[in-house]
Amino acid sequence: MTTHKSEVLVIGGGIQGSSTAYHLAKRGVSVRVLEKDTVSRHASGVNAGGVRLLGRNLAEVELSKTAMERWQQLDDELDADTGFRARSLINIAADETDMETLRSREQQMHELGYFHEVMLDQHELRERLPHVAQHCIGGVVSEQDGYAIPFHSTQAFRIAAERIGAIFCEGEQVQSIRKVGDSWLVATETQKYQAEHLVNCAGAWADLISVMIGDNVPMSYSAPMLMITARMPHFATPVVGAVSRPLSFKQFENGTVLIGGGAKGFADRANNTTRLDYSLLASGAHHAIEFFPIMKTACINRMWSGLEAYMPDNLPVIGKSIRADKAYHAFAFSAHGFQLGPVIGEVLADLITEGESRFDLEPFRVNRYERKVL
Amino acid sequence: MINNIATPSFNNSYDIAIIGAGPAGMSAAITATKAGARVVVLDDKPRSGGQIYRNVDASPLAKPAVLGADYLKGSEITAAFKRCSAEHISSVNVWHAGDNGELLFSLEGETQRLTARQIIVATGAMERPFPIPGWHLPGVMSAGSAQVMLKSDGLVRDGAVFAGTGPLLYLIVAQYLRLGVKVKALVDTTPKQNYLSSMSEITGAMSAPGMLIKGLGLMNEIRKSDTKVYRFAEGLEVQGEDACKSLSFSISGSKHEIVTEHVFLHQGVIPNLNMTQALGLKHTWCEQQLCWTPETDNWGQSSQGVIAVAGDSSGIVGAESAAAMGRICALRQLVNIGLITEQQADHEAAADLRFMRKQQHFRRFIDRLYRPLDQHRKPTNDQTVVCRCEERTVKDLKQGFALGGREPNQLKSQTRCGMGPCQGRMCGHTVSELLAEWRNEPVADVGYYRLRSPMRLVTLQELSRFTNLTPVSTVDRASSGTSDSDVEANKEQELAQ
Repeated sequence: MTTHKSEVLVIGGGIQGSSTAYHLAKRGVSVRVLEKDTVSRHASGVNAGGVRLLGRNLAEVELSKTAMERWQQLDDELDADTGFRARSLINIAADETDMETLRSREQQMHELGYFHEVMLDQHELRERLPHVAQHCIGGVVSEQDGYAIPFHSTQAFRIAAERIGAIFCEGEQVQSIRKVGDSWLVATETQKYQAEHLVNCAGAWADLISVMIGDNVPMSYSAPMLMITARMPHFATPVVGAVSRPLSFKQFENGTVLIGGGAKGFADRANNTTRLDYSLLASGAHHAIEFFPIMKTACINRMWSGLEAYMPDNLPVIGKSIRADKAYHAFAFSAHGFQLGPVIGEVLADLITEGESRFDLEPFRVNRYERKVL
Repeated sequence: MINNIATPSFNNSYDIAIIGAGPAGMSAAITATKAGARVVVLDDKPRSGGQIYRNVDASPLAKPAVLGADYLKGSEITAAFKRCSAEHISSVNVWHAGDNGELLFSLEGETQRLTARQIIVATGAMERPFPIPGWHLPGVMSAGSAQVMLKSDGLVRDGAVFAGTGPLLYLIVAQYLRLGVKVKALVDTTPKQNYLSSMSEITGAMSAPGMLIKGLGLMNEIRKSDTKVYRFAEGLEVQGEDACKSLSFSISGSKHEIVTEHVFLHQGVIPNLNMTQALGLKHTWCEQQLCWTPETDNWGQSSQGVIAVAGDSSGIVGAESAAAMGRICALRQLVNIGLITEQQADHEAAADLRFMRKQQHFRRFIDRLYRPLDQHRKPTNDQTVVCRCEERTVKDLKQGFALGGREPNQLKSQTRCGMGPCQGRMCGHTVSELLAEWRNEPVADVGYYRLRSPMRLVTLQELSRFTNLTPVSTVDRASSGTSDSDVEANKEQELAQ
């Protein structure tokens, strides 16, 4: 049997893996992506498409800001239509407690020199969202934020990467990983692969790959649920979230409204499936109506969920393997990795070709949960 | 102590939930309640009967007899169904069914939830889409929809053209004619070679001579009228910019065009897959009927233990076989929940199983004779609309295919084809067959859409109000235990219907 050789082998054909392949190929590095199903089959293809800088964990702000710059010209760079629209994102404050939360966040951000989150009073909120319920008293906006079409975005990276020499192998599930000498040897059911560098972008299955590489990680996985309505009259231009309520929605140009909010269904990753929790979706529907009464009569057309990986601190794992040389991780984005896709590929390409990244990856190291034995 | 753990009583749960109150659903309910099961039947229409017996006990027509003896026969089964103890919840759309026995449906602006130990899906058939140029234009409808208008509201259209193939098409034309409605033309697309190829199944046809005679009778009725009949038509196209202006077609190379504002299309029926697909049941491609069907055993049991599929939603069988299948499914589920023994079920199902086997021969003949033309299932014209909800044409799909949409779900994500409110009902089969052709692979390898709930549109407000529904009465099993002879007697009575 021939062994397929490349300089880099990426495991996982989601947006992180596809972006990594693109950035490596752009630098002339030979790269191959192994995807166990089809590219963007899971979280990268079915997420809510939020392109969000607002409310980022402080550890992620620099990455997210750079990613946001990339999004503004991503269609041109990839020569594709990712569906990206800068529509701004508003998180709504429902009460004084929410406003207090926003004020202390604002102070913290200003001290760090970040000014992209701007508070809104009730009047400004209503101007931007005329249909918001009366009880909402303010909010915060990030102007550059918006949304993109996840499946198209991930495919855009894949197609652009293939155009410059990257190879994507679908239906290739990794069964074993061995390091022999300087080479990573990876076997799937029918094929063998060899590479100098190995990248783990395996999403909800990344902990299994991580263990094969040698890094234990307390990752979990779940099934965040989404629903989308049939077309309705235009009523909201910005993407909408809430400071302390599980509410999140966006109205697309065709009039359909995608409603998220973080409620999770049941994940069955061994069988590639999820099961929805309809009583939780019901409370999501309740929140949507509470904040936007106009949505009472919106008709839900589809409900679904994807398989997503989480870390206990809801921050991703990004960086070099601790136990093995020339292995890298980028996974467990905890339901907010889509926006980071364009920059994560750059980060991994830097780690592989330069040996380091200009971003502080310390908060994302794979072994941040390892404790000393007493 | 393990002995102290109470036996689950299932008091707040139904034994069997049946979705659909057509021949299959009704007869399943009758059989199951006779054995003492707590049964609930959910149906989207105000009255029981399904599509075939729609409004049979409340026809808006002065003389419902024009709809035919087969239709009138439905009042017997709807009456028996009303007498049985099943709870019948009408006018509700079941928008979610789960293999955990959970059913969700909208009723009076709220979401109701109930659970059942076993589920019988009897959601029936739908008409096969007829994706030809212009089929999406106003003025074009399916012949079945024309029949629904007739059965429920007594509405008809004068001067319409009926086009396509299949027994239902001829039946509806005959029903129109009996009402004295003018039918401008019947454009029959049954190709010559089907008459020849179906001859190999003629022995099957002879196994049900009654059906054959009925079919010939309809054709005679139509021929005797002054309706113009065009045979062996192909290349159907509806002409018009914003609305239907005419129907054009060719017969052995010569072109025809009939001016009309109303075209009713029909080329057979296929299982309504939305519920069985959303349930995650295994499906296979049926080459004989050119459609996906849920995998079932002889007892209608699907790949998921607690779910059975009866009637046309399991593959097209017709009303009589559907009723037989409903009984058979119910018997198996009664065994599953321990109300009857396997021996009882075997014994009681024997006649129905025999009947169904016999019907299968006849079905092979019908399927061969009325096999729709490839060109009317797999559109080649770039402008032909495939997905009506999202207005996606053959050209859009070809572009999506070129961008890597090689299987229905990828193509859907790529092009939005199948993302609209009909949940892919109107484009799913076309997409499977087109992709198979473009990939030069069997349809079976291409697959179908992964479907999700809701199977029908549900408003956000309905979803936000959630109520649990439990059985009205708990059945006292001791007193309703059915003896063998009782069941046998009931059975005979049913078969006599």
